[in-house]
Amino acid sequence: METIKFSYVIPQVFAQRVNELDSDIWNTDATFEKGHLYLVEADSGKGKSTFCSYVVGYRHDYSGSVTFDNDNTKEYQVKEWVDMRQHHISHLFQELRLFPELTAFENVEIKNKLTGFKSRDQIVKWFDMLGIADKLDAKIGRMSFGQQQRVALIRSLVQPFDFIFADEPISHLDDTNSAIMAEIMMTEAKAQGAGVIVTSIGKHMDLDYEKTFKL
Amino acid sequence: MNLVWKLLRQHISVPQFAGFFFANLFGMLIVLLGFQFYHDVVPIFTAEDSFMKSDFMIVNKKIGTASSISGRSNTFSNTEIDEMGEQAFSDKIGKFTSTEYKVDANMSVNGVPVLDNGEISFESVPDNFVEVKQLSDWKYTPGSKVVPIILPRIYLTMYNFGFAQSHSLPKISDGLIGMIDFQVFVHGNKKQAQFKGKVIGFSSRLSSILVPQAFMDWSNNEYAPGQQTEPTRLIMSLKNPGDQNFTKYLDKKGYEIENDKLNAEKTTYFLKMMVTMVMVVGLIISVLSFYILMLSIYLLVQKNSSKLENLLLIGYSPGHVARPYQLLTISLNIAVLIMAWIILFFVRNYYMGIIETLFPDMEDGSMLSTFVVGISLLVLVSICNLIAIRNKIASIWKRKE
Repeated sequence: METIKFSYVIPQVFAQRVNELDSDIWNTDATFEKGHLYLVEADSGKGKSTFCSYVVGYRHDYSGSVTFDNDNTKEYQVKEWVDMRQHHISHLFQELRLFPELTAFENVEIKNKLTGFKSRDQIVKWFDMLGIADKLDAKIGRMSFGQQQRVALIRSLVQPFDFIFADEPISHLDDTNSAIMAEIMMTEAKAQGAGVIVTSIGKHMDLDYEKTFKL
Repeated sequence: MNLVWKLLRQHISVPQFAGFFFANLFGMLIVLLGFQFYHDVVPIFTAEDSFMKSDFMIVNKKIGTASSISGRSNTFSNTEIDEMGEQAFSDKIGKFTSTEYKVDANMSVNGVPVLDNGEISFESVPDNFVEVKQLSDWKYTPGSKVVPIILPRIYLTMYNFGFAQSHSLPKISDGLIGMIDFQVFVHGNKKQAQFKGKVIGFSSRLSSILVPQAFMDWSNNEYAPGQQTEPTRLIMSLKNPGDQNFTKYLDKKGYEIENDKLNAEKTTYFLKMMVTMVMVVGLIISVLSFYILMLSIYLLVQKNSSKLENLLLIGYSPGHVARPYQLLTISLNIAVLIMAWIILFFVRNYYMGIIETLFPDMEDGSMLSTFVVGISLLVLVSICNLIAIRNKIASIWKRKE
C-alpha cells in the first residue's frame, strides 16, 4: 500500500458544526504517503484517536471517504481489515490495549505468533534498549504506564507494515526514553520503507517531521 | 493459540459448564435410550411366527347374544367351508380339527415335573399351513409312540416367569426345547395309550397344542370313532392379502378374523407414541441444556469482550478468536455423547437381560442406529454452537459501527 487518502471526511460527532471545522484533515483532502514522516497535532477533543480508528477500521462513523491506494475502505470486509491489521498498518494505541493477565513478553509474543515477524532475540534486544529487560516476565498489570507504553511500542513493531500510527506514544515517558523509542521506531520504519504518522497533543517525539497536520 | 487460550479462558465458570454437561447428558441419554429401547422392543411385536406365517388368516364366526339365542351354530359346515374356498380371493383353506377324546399330560423340564396329569387338548391344521424347517419333524406314522407337537408360546412364558424362577430352574429358550419331557395319556373308546410328545417349537398363534393332521385323523378314528364335530375355526391364506372382497365377504357372512397382527400393530403404535413422548421430553431437556451452554458462552464472551476486542484490533481474525470457545463447546458435546453412550450401553445390557428371559429367541439387535442418531444430534448441536459463537464474536467486531 502506497497512500492513505482522506477525502472530505467528517466524523459524525462533528457533523453539526462542519462550518466551525478548521482542520487539515477533516472536511478536506489529506494524503499520507509511504516512506514519509508526519505529525498530527491537535488539542483534546479534536478527534485524534478517531482519526486513527478510521484508519484501522475500528470505527466507520463518518461521511466522505478513506481510501487505501484507490480502494474505498468502506467496502472492506472483515477479511481485508484483518489483512490490513496484520500486514499493512500498525497501530500504537493511545490506550495501549495490552493484556494485564499476560506478562510483558507474552503481550508481544501474542502478536508475533500471529505474524511470525521477529525473533525472540530481537524482541529481547528491544526490551533491553528500552530499559525494561528485567520486566520480561512481569505481569503487565504490575507495570507503570510508562513501562507499558514501551511494551506496546515493541508489540506494534512485530509485524510488517506500510504505515505505523503512533497515537501519543510518549505521553508518560522521559526525554531519554522518548528518544530511544523514537530511534527504535524510525529504524524499523526505515527498514520497512514505511510511512510514520505520530499524533500529539503537545509533547511530541523529537523527529524531523516532513509535514504537520493540524486537526 | 496457547496465549490466546490463556487469555480467553479467564472467567470460565466451571459450575455453569458442569450444569450444562449434566443437563445435556440427561437429555441426550433420554433421547438415545428412547430410540434404542424402541428398536430393541419393536421386533418382539412384529416378529414373524416361525410356524405360522402372519398372512395366514384364522377365521371364526362372530359370537354374540343374537346367535346364542337364535341357536345359530358357531361352527362351520362343510358347505360353508367349500363356499368360502371357492371365492376368488381364497388361495388355500383348512380347518382346525380338535380331539374328540380325553387327553391328559405330564410335562417335566430337566426331570422336574411342571404339569402333573393335567387335562389338555390338541388341535391340528392341514400340514401345508405349518412351516417346519425339516419336514420330517412334522411327520407322524400311525401307530408310532412319538408325536411331534408345537406348544403355544404362552406356555413358555408362563414356565420361564411363573415356574422356573420360583423353582430355581433353568429358563428355556427355543434352542433348549430338548429339555422338555412331554408324556401324553389318551383315553377313549375303552382304550388308552401313552405317547411321547416331541416338542419341536413354540408358536404365538396357537391357543392349544398343535399336533400333525395325520396324528389327529388317526387318533380320532382310534379313540373316538364316529364322532366328528364341525370346526369352529378355519385357517386360510389369500391370493392378495389386502383384498377388499375378503372383508366384505366376512361381513356378509358374519365371520371375523382372529387378528393378532392387529393387536401387535396396536401395541407397536402405543409403544411408538410413548417412546416418541419420552424422546420429546429428552429433546426438550437437550434444547434447554443447549440454551444453558449458549448463555454461559455469551456471558463468557461478554466478560472477555475487551480482551476479544483487543485481539481483533491487533490483527486476530474473528474466526481465530472464536476457535477456543468453539473447541470448548465441541469437546463438551463430544464428552457428553461418549458418556451417554457408555451409560446407554450398561442400561441396555440391563434391560436386554430382562427382555431375553421374556423372549429368549429374540435377536440381539445392535446399537448402530443409536450411534448414528447420537452423531447426528452431535453434529446438529455443534453446528448451532459454532454459528452462535461466530455471530457473537462478529457482533464484537461490529460493536463500534
